[in-house]
Amino acid sequence: MSATAINQDMLLAVVEAMPGDKLAEARRAAAFRFAELGFPTVGQEDWKYTNLSVAAELGNEWLDAYVANGGQESDSRTGNLIAAVQNRIDAYWIILRDGFVDSNLPDVDGIRVSRIAEQGHRPLEGADAMSVFNTALLRDGLYVRAEPGAVPDKPIGILIIDNPENAMSQTRVMIDSGENSHLRIVECCLSSEAGRQFTNSIFEADLADGATLDHVRIQNRDEAHVSVNKLSAKLRRDSNFNHNSFDLGGALTRNDVNAEITGEGASVNLNGLYLAAGDQHIDNHTSIVHGVGPSTSEEEYRGILSGRSRCVFNGKVIVSPGADGTDSRQSNHNLLLSDRAEIDTKPELEIYADDVKCAHGATVGQLDETALFYLRTRGLGLDHARRIITRAFAAGTLSTLAVAECHDYLADVLDQRLANLIDAKQ
Amino acid sequence: MLEVKNLKASIGGKEILTGLNLSVKAGEVHAIMGPNGSGKSTLAQVIAGHADYEVTSGAVEFLGKDLLDLDPEERAREGIFLGFQYPVEIPGVNNAYLLKAAVNAKRKHHGMDEIDAFEFLKLAREKMTMLGMDPVFLNRGVNEGFSGGEKKRNEILQMAMLEPSLAILDETDSGLDIDALKAVANGVNSLRDPERAIVLVTHYQRLLDYIEPDYVHVLSGGQIIRSGDKSLALELEDRGYEWVVEAASA
Repeated sequence: MSATAINQDMLLAVVEAMPGDKLAEARRAAAFRFAELGFPTVGQEDWKYTNLSVAAELGNEWLDAYVANGGQESDSRTGNLIAAVQNRIDAYWIILRDGFVDSNLPDVDGIRVSRIAEQGHRPLEGADAMSVFNTALLRDGLYVRAEPGAVPDKPIGILIIDNPENAMSQTRVMIDSGENSHLRIVECCLSSEAGRQFTNSIFEADLADGATLDHVRIQNRDEAHVSVNKLSAKLRRDSNFNHNSFDLGGALTRNDVNAEITGEGASVNLNGLYLAAGDQHIDNHTSIVHGVGPSTSEEEYRGILSGRSRCVFNGKVIVSPGADGTDSRQSNHNLLLSDRAEIDTKPELEIYADDVKCAHGATVGQLDETALFYLRTRGLGLDHARRIITRAFAAGTLSTLAVAECHDYLADVLDQRLANLIDAKQ
Repeated sequence: MLEVKNLKASIGGKEILTGLNLSVKAGEVHAIMGPNGSGKSTLAQVIAGHADYEVTSGAVEFLGKDLLDLDPEERAREGIFLGFQYPVEIPGVNNAYLLKAAVNAKRKHHGMDEIDAFEFLKLAREKMTMLGMDPVFLNRGVNEGFSGGEKKRNEILQMAMLEPSLAILDETDSGLDIDALKAVANGVNSLRDPERAIVLVTHYQRLLDYIEPDYVHVLSGGQIIRSGDKSLALELEDRGYEWVVEAASA
């Protein structure tokens, strides 16, 4: 067995040993299915830049530990971590710790929140290997349902804290947005301590007619963390999905964002910012399917890369036959602060309808020397000038922030992260 | 205040300034005129410290200091201001932020406390009124989406806030309609002071109708080939540059 593969026998043994809760049956089916799939490899087109061998290694470590200790997870020390976020972002907070729900569930008018291992769940979706793997080892997860017309006064906050002492965790959040509801969700993904760990997360949302879902994910994990994150949203008639992602931490981060428009008048907004330093690797694969028209999608990802970091942007837009009136715009802009950083950016448009507007563009560049000189002639030092131009580039993504409550917190963590990036730009 | 001696400077191996001499004293207004490609903008950029220009010989002294030893930001903090011919758009960097950072960089350099936020706003609003600028420009990105005239007014606003000892204004009059020209000239004139020197780099006599210079210089082939008082500018307007160039090479 190669080092890049999950030990299948061990996986089946662990799944058999897991509790007989409402997820048991789905886990068992998924474990057998995963045996046929295995982790994606760089031989697959969608994974050619991202190697999951570290994730597999950590997965096997976790399976070994489960057999040894019966699935006892180490407690994480997170007191200050939690307060630092909750004091800054006004939201109804829920804590997910290493894949377990570890807080009381909020009581919000028109919103039902439950634990899927306890209360049951709708079918767990996703036929791809990482989703199947997630299902096979899922210990618990969150189900959030917004009743028709519900418009909570504050966002739901999900604080996802993983502890490197536990080598791996599976996280799953399922959202049902009822007709004409307007749900706002902030996810903060943090590590409780420094160290290697692999998180495999799934966020899946179903938006009924006229529903709006605003979703912001702030990923600021430890620099050794590895994560594979799948986000999928299904949009019915006149629904709106607005998503911002901020990837600041992690050694290796892979995001798959899939939005599927199945109803007329729906709109998708995807906005991403990735800041990579050192040897960080951040891979964003997005896919927007315009199944019907008229419908709109707007997508803008920005990246700032320093050190020997490597980032990937792959933006797929599919306009299905008959989806006339589709209006789609996509852009990816990158700022390289170092000669050794690398970005691979690729738009992929597949258009099978006639009456559509699709625009896309990508740029890769360095800091503008003319602008730097201009600022210096105003008395600003070179580092200061670099910092504010870089910050301005990043801050462009805050102007489309879907959940205003996290603006100030984000602006602060962005500033800290950018200062590191600029100081260590080589 | 400013002593330029036998200055030679080149860009990409091409010599643009070929031995330029210029002496500017406090309280004076100098106009530097000359045909296209004569080196006017190069002189402005070299004094401000643009790294693309290589000074191959000569000296530039500012208030007794060797200017060529200083980084652009140090020159600015010492009191040099360059008004750009093409002010740079910096999307996302707030105009008020830049103004305040610039003022504070200079204050810090001179051992002063940072400017009080209220004081800063009051001062900025005053200067903007004088320049006919809407205060909303404070909250826009630096020159982002500004018209040509707005950009030039914004340069003068920065100058007015920074109160430099030496202001070099590179083609500040280009692209301005008559109202904007008057507003800009008004701003420059309000800064005339016995302690301050102003160097206007310009193609046309028109600006000098509004800002009256003490000295007019003709720059050609990278050197100052003739100097005079404001009547020289009028003569240039009448007769062009050719006769000066011919007289100099005779």
